[in-house]
Amino acid sequence: MSTPTLVKPVPPPTRQGRGGVGRTHDRWWAPWLFLAPALGIVVTFILFPFVNTLALSVTDATLLKPGHFIGVDNFVRLWDDERFRTAMTNSLLYVVCVVPVMVAAPLVLAALVNGGGRLLGFFRTAYYLPVIMSSVIVGLIWTNLLDQRGLVNEVLRWLSLVNEPVGFLSDRWLTLFSAMLVTIWSGLGYYMVIYLAAMANIDQDLYDAASVDGAGPVRRFLNVTAPGVRSTSALIGLFSSVAAFRVFGEVYVLTGGTGGLGGQNVTVTMLIQQEGTGLQAETGYAGAISVVMFVVLGGLLAGQLWYQNRGER
Amino acid sequence: MSGKRVLLALPAVLALSLSACGVAGGSSDDSDAQSTVSGEVKGEISFQTWNLKGGYEEYFNGLVKDFEEANPGTTVKWIDQPAEGYQDKLSADAAAGALPDVVDVGPEAAFTLASAGMLLDLSKTDAEAEANYLPKAWEANHFPSLGGTYAYPWYLNTGPSFFNTAVLEKCGVTGELPTSYDALFTAGMTMAEKCKSDASMVGRLPAIENFGSYGVPLMDEAGTTFTFNDAKGVELVNHYKELFAAGGLTEATLNELQTGEVDAFKAGQVGWLPGSSYTLKDLKETAPKIAETTEISPQITNDQPNMYIESLAVSAKSENTATAVAFAKFATDRENQLAFSQQAAIFPSAAGALEDEYFTKDDGTDETALRLESAKAVSEAIVYWPAAFSSKSVDYLREQIALAVLGKKDVQEALDESVEYANGNLPQ
Amino acid sequence: MTRGQKALRYGVLLGFFLLLAGPLLWQLSLSLKGAGDDLYAQPPQLVPSDPTLGNYSDVLDRVPVLRYVANSGLVALMVVGGNVIGATLAGYALARMKFRFRGLVTGLFVVALLVPIESIIIAQFLLVRSSGLADTLLGVALPTCVAALNVLLMRNAFQAIPPELEEAARVDGAGVWRRFWYICAPQVRGVMTVVAIFSFVGAWNDFLWPLIVLSSEENYTLTLGLNRLRGTFFSDPRLIAAGTIIALAPIIAVFALLQRYFFRGLQAGGIKG
Repeated sequence: MSTPTLVKPVPPPTRQGRGGVGRTHDRWWAPWLFLAPALGIVVTFILFPFVNTLALSVTDATLLKPGHFIGVDNFVRLWDDERFRTAMTNSLLYVVCVVPVMVAAPLVLAALVNGGGRLLGFFRTAYYLPVIMSSVIVGLIWTNLLDQRGLVNEVLRWLSLVNEPVGFLSDRWLTLFSAMLVTIWSGLGYYMVIYLAAMANIDQDLYDAASVDGAGPVRRFLNVTAPGVRSTSALIGLFSSVAAFRVFGEVYVLTGGTGGLGGQNVTVTMLIQQEGTGLQAETGYAGAISVVMFVVLGGLLAGQLWYQNRGER
Repeated sequence: MSGKRVLLALPAVLALSLSACGVAGGSSDDSDAQSTVSGEVKGEISFQTWNLKGGYEEYFNGLVKDFEEANPGTTVKWIDQPAEGYQDKLSADAAAGALPDVVDVGPEAAFTLASAGMLLDLSKTDAEAEANYLPKAWEANHFPSLGGTYAYPWYLNTGPSFFNTAVLEKCGVTGELPTSYDALFTAGMTMAEKCKSDASMVGRLPAIENFGSYGVPLMDEAGTTFTFNDAKGVELVNHYKELFAAGGLTEATLNELQTGEVDAFKAGQVGWLPGSSYTLKDLKETAPKIAETTEISPQITNDQPNMYIESLAVSAKSENTATAVAFAKFATDRENQLAFSQQAAIFPSAAGALEDEYFTKDDGTDETALRLESAKAVSEAIVYWPAAFSSKSVDYLREQIALAVLGKKDVQEALDESVEYANGNLPQ
Repeated sequence: MTRGQKALRYGVLLGFFLLLAGPLLWQLSLSLKGAGDDLYAQPPQLVPSDPTLGNYSDVLDRVPVLRYVANSGLVALMVVGGNVIGATLAGYALARMKFRFRGLVTGLFVVALLVPIESIIIAQFLLVRSSGLADTLLGVALPTCVAALNVLLMRNAFQAIPPELEEAARVDGAGVWRRFWYICAPQVRGVMTVVAIFSFVGAWNDFLWPLIVLSSEENYTLTLGLNRLRGTFFSDPRLIAAGTIIALAPIIAVFALLQRYFFRGLQAGGIKG
């Protein structure tokens, strides 16, 4: 397939002007036909149930009993709930610490494994392994490593760096930090793959031009690769913010299915899980937590989009 | 039809069907729908167990066949749920108002389902049934606040203490193995002095059943308020706090669930493991070295020993109530329980079953000795864990105790808050 | 690249390899350990002292793995197909077609991305049940058949295509379908592969949702079926490890096969030096 030589290989995601000048005019319903399968599934199975959650959040419903309207009582209760404040702090910290790493590190990794050849293909597959491992195995592996009597502590003690074992899985902040590490570990391969796909669209001529100008691999990475995948970086920032704020699996498995020592490592999703599942589920209260989480995430994204738009202008 | 109309129509249809079956929760106000069993023992019923297929498939297929032969015209469909996620599966079915006809539940699930009117009150359908079971087992499914009994007792489990004598000796604990809480804590302090964080006596914080066997009154008579925040309860938590301060409990321990405790014992990091009757076999298979130095002694308690119970409940919405009740009784009768307990390492709750030779005659092996001792304990044991103490309350209590032991919260305050939370979780 | 740079590159690659893939070796070792191995030995042993393949044959004896693999495969096929087709179509419409409410519809997908699944899973089950799809593989596949995340990924991919390309075809009189099929879709094959892999992994590993939807054992997916290896009164970590390896193998195979397609676009423009 031949691609015409382009002046600007990867245009920023600007909207096309209204009313194209094309010869053919698309039928008004054509876009809706394209959208139908996706919109049908998403509206039916995600958005519509969520409207139900919204409705539940102002009731005192439990799983087995339909509730009564109680206004904003659930939200007042949330405000006073110590665990909710802890969960909010933990989830927000997660976003702040994890997202920058998730945007940058996989890109470097992708640049390293990009290219033909069997060996690189082997590495690509190997790097994807943590992504496909179930969270149970991931938890097992990392608790074995980070436990008070685990490998990491053994090594630290052997090197005489510490006298007492470090509480990677019991100290409040260290546990959170350990969980972030696991998130990054298992997410590197995931975002690497997205970057790889995006890098395939960068025009080779740009690399050649840079080489002619005498740019080394690092310069080519900074001047061609990184700007070339900018819109993908933004998307990954968005995805990883949502994922980080909603973190569940890593904290869950590292704390052995609890919310950490005294519940100090509980995240917002864990709280929803605790209150909203099982036979004694308080679906109304859990609904209120979900709504707050939704609003906070929405704010986070709006902030990010605003920041990007400002940067583009 | 245009794409747009499809989009609008689809959710609308589903919205109707959804509101018809009530997303907000299962229907509830028909709690007295069926209080008597009517109809013949005929037709098809479903029978759900939890994680018993791996190993006991033959027993259950036989059980179903025997019942179908004894009651011509009946079909029993046996469903076994996998280990993980049983609560989630059960709650999804309950929310849809589609519980299996006969369902394997613990007292806590039975209580929640019964409160929502989803289970049949078996004391009303069949007043004589009570005599067929051990009194303490029957009592576990009797809920005073609801005024009925909602499940037939099925299998019981209890277990002695397992002590890793190699660890105990290394850390200066000699002489008789502890059988009371006081002796346990004293030995724990000795170990703390000698071994610090290399090994400790206790591998988990106390759960609600430990409060019970320590002698703390858990609930008032009427079963409407929790009471474990009294002086005795505070005393128990203080013991753990002292142990922690002396180095006899690791920080990791404060967060441990039962599986973590077992793993720590298998790794030789913990001296005491409150086990069950299948712990010995498990130790021999997965940690043979530890099994060699393990000794068994009676369960730690200040009162009667503790036991756990699984029961069979009947759905109030069953279309073949008579068949469902008949099958639940059949599966929990003396003969069938005895047969099951001989295959699985559990104990029967049917009256008189524990007097069987299998539980009384010693043949000199470790396994038998353990079985006889546990069987003796079962006949005196109590199900301490109140059915009204939800799994959410279990988590909350563990978290609060951890905070108290860490010194981040006053012990009394932690227990007060746990009681308040547990009370708040009772059905109104 | 100079020799030194090359050595550095492969050194870094190897380091990451150990860090990222190493832990799987532990699982592999566990699955090969025999009855004579103490699983809780301190320090942990990586090389089994009593190696055996018995755990694998045990797993195959205990659970009908083939049947579960077939069920999982079917669910994965529906989910991958649905996502690749649905997300590509929708992504194209959102990125390259002009219509009223485009912003609003894009917004809907972003909103869907933010909805916490934990809070809607019971409602999803009631929906599936009321459409008569409880205990069917279609019921398992349907809600994840098109994920909002994939739609946004595809939209982003389509946006990166230069407008001149499509404009030329438009001037030549190509209709929307021809422009989509012959001009734009081939350009985003890499991202389509990514969507395929992501949805395959998601469908293959999911546990809670199939558990809730399915009740007959003959419909169980592999994750549910392998859970059978953890009995109430017995539980052998060796068997569980062997089961995990069996479950992982197909995903690794799918990834290894598909990963070279990321480079279609790249190779068309020449191999990078």
